[in-house]
Amino acid sequence: MDPILIGEMLAALMFFGVIGFLLLGFPVAFTLAGVSLLFGAVGMGFGVFDPSNFGSLPNRYIGFMTNEVLVAVPLFIFMGVMLERSQIAEQLLLTMGKLFGNMRGGLGISVVLVGAMLAASTGVVGATVVTMGLISLPAMLRAGYDPKLATGVICASGTLGQIIPPSTVLIFMGDMLSGINSQVQMAKGNFAPMPVSVGDLFAGALLPGILLVSLYLAYVLFKAVTAPASCPATPVPADEKGELLRDFFVALVPPLLLIFAVLGSILGGIATPTEAASVGAVGAMVLAALRWRLSFRILRETMIATATITSMVFVILLGASVFSIVFRMMGGDNLVHEFLSNLPGGPLAAVAVVMIIMFFLGFILDTFEIIFIVIPITAPVLLMLDINPIWLGVLVGVNLQTSFLTPPFGFALFYLRGVAPADLPTSAIYKGILPFVLLQVVAIAILFAFPQIVTWLPKVISG
Amino acid sequence: MRFLAGIAKLICAVNLVIGNIFAWLSLGIVLVCFTVVVQRYVFAISYVWMQDLYIWLNGAMFTAVAGFALLRDDHVRVDIFYRPAKMARRALIDLIGVVVFLLPFCWVVYVYSIPFVQRAWGYSEGSANVGGMPGLYILKAFIIGFAALLALQGVAWIIRSILVLSGNAALVPKSIQYSRDQIPADHPQGAV
Repeated sequence: MDPILIGEMLAALMFFGVIGFLLLGFPVAFTLAGVSLLFGAVGMGFGVFDPSNFGSLPNRYIGFMTNEVLVAVPLFIFMGVMLERSQIAEQLLLTMGKLFGNMRGGLGISVVLVGAMLAASTGVVGATVVTMGLISLPAMLRAGYDPKLATGVICASGTLGQIIPPSTVLIFMGDMLSGINSQVQMAKGNFAPMPVSVGDLFAGALLPGILLVSLYLAYVLFKAVTAPASCPATPVPADEKGELLRDFFVALVPPLLLIFAVLGSILGGIATPTEAASVGAVGAMVLAALRWRLSFRILRETMIATATITSMVFVILLGASVFSIVFRMMGGDNLVHEFLSNLPGGPLAAVAVVMIIMFFLGFILDTFEIIFIVIPITAPVLLMLDINPIWLGVLVGVNLQTSFLTPPFGFALFYLRGVAPADLPTSAIYKGILPFVLLQVVAIAILFAFPQIVTWLPKVISG
Repeated sequence: MRFLAGIAKLICAVNLVIGNIFAWLSLGIVLVCFTVVVQRYVFAISYVWMQDLYIWLNGAMFTAVAGFALLRDDHVRVDIFYRPAKMARRALIDLIGVVVFLLPFCWVVYVYSIPFVQRAWGYSEGSANVGGMPGLYILKAFIIGFAALLALQGVAWIIRSILVLSGNAALVPKSIQYSRDQIPADHPQGAV
């Protein structure tokens, strides 16, 4: 048999093999690397893989370890964990709940708004869902909310951190896409390409993030009108009304200022995402200190959580590097290239196919694994076909928010299940998320039809 | 069996200490990077070595605590089938995973990094930036440390699996004990 064909077949088998072995439940990072090594060994047997290719591994690793852009990841995680541990997020939820309590669907609206705010202050998804599950879910259930609506709105809003800048996913994506873009432009003979930065991706994701928030709000309002019993109002007792104004300034204004400072300086081009993130992390500590919550215990918890979450994400990247090397060297890249460039329907069809594959991978894997595997093998082809890298990155971000939401393996669903009252059936959580997954698909369709929603702001900002 | 348990305990102690020490680097990243920002935007000065420093701290942190994160079982799993499985089954999956996936990965990283790191030590490689940090060779050595600490923790997991599968689950060191078998969803503990 033709060795090229054997290599390509092995590469394709490896892709499905990885997914199959991941279901065993061993940590993703090492399963990815281990399965790739197994296939590499088989490839050696057939003479289609040369292990000396692993010589590039340490170079890649030190590249991640000395990457300035990616340092924004631990900084934003630190900021998010600090805000959560010092109960600033909790205060936000309580205050916002009171502000909107008087209207039907008010608690749901407050959850969407706080989800958006927390998303704009951090890129971490798990913490937000847990916080809202602990505080807002009981409040909504007590008020008589339909459990499906309550859990759905929490899961969807709690995962907005994925797409609303600053998001850790967009940081990784921006870093990967900028490298791939400059290579592709070189290959096309464009030696002075417009660089793509994480800041561009943040700017591109802002309006789509607002679009999603609007869709969620519209859905809650729609429910409030068509099914009033599913989301009753929760009037604030008269004696608490006086405190509301004070709460507003204490709980709401300081985090809002921090968010505007961090996001504004990035989008305004004043500071790099990494620089702004360090200001955000220090700001979060200051906010915690102002509330007498910056104890040694909380600082220590924050550091340990930051270190382990950061390590977890980066180690997936290290494991995925092994996959990339084996896949590429066995000819998998050519396979993907031929497949995507020869689709009837041209470049847009190619993007659509990649999006659909990612959507379905999201049922099993979560965002980081998917982008670390799929972006390096598909983005070069798509950018070669003149797809706008910023549009592609944001589209992937919106798409992969569903990976947190789709059963059986949606992180947000697990987090919520973990903190939801025991008598709340799991099926309610699964049913509740459905409308929001559909809204997500609607958002993707809108961004597909009107790419300007993504590309307009980065263009305005970069002039 | 007690001897094996002792080894596992020792390995966990090593990773616990390293994890607790290197977690401080996260605060270091925040403070150094913030200092760089203040210096640049307020005082209009900047030191290249400080810019290197906070970036390298991240590299050192996420490699050094990888074994600690494995100890805490923080590395994400696709656990649709793993989480509800009985303890013996989870122990078997972890045993296979460590032997077939984790250890070969650590070995490949180790083998291919050794010449890379040795070269850097040979001439005490520093930052490529003018005025940058010395000691890039030390950061490069963290790749070896990463593989070694992960492999060690993997050995501790193998021991855990052996202990569980041989009916000695009680001997497993506290820090890596499995959670008890799960009660099926929708049947909270009190209600069964």
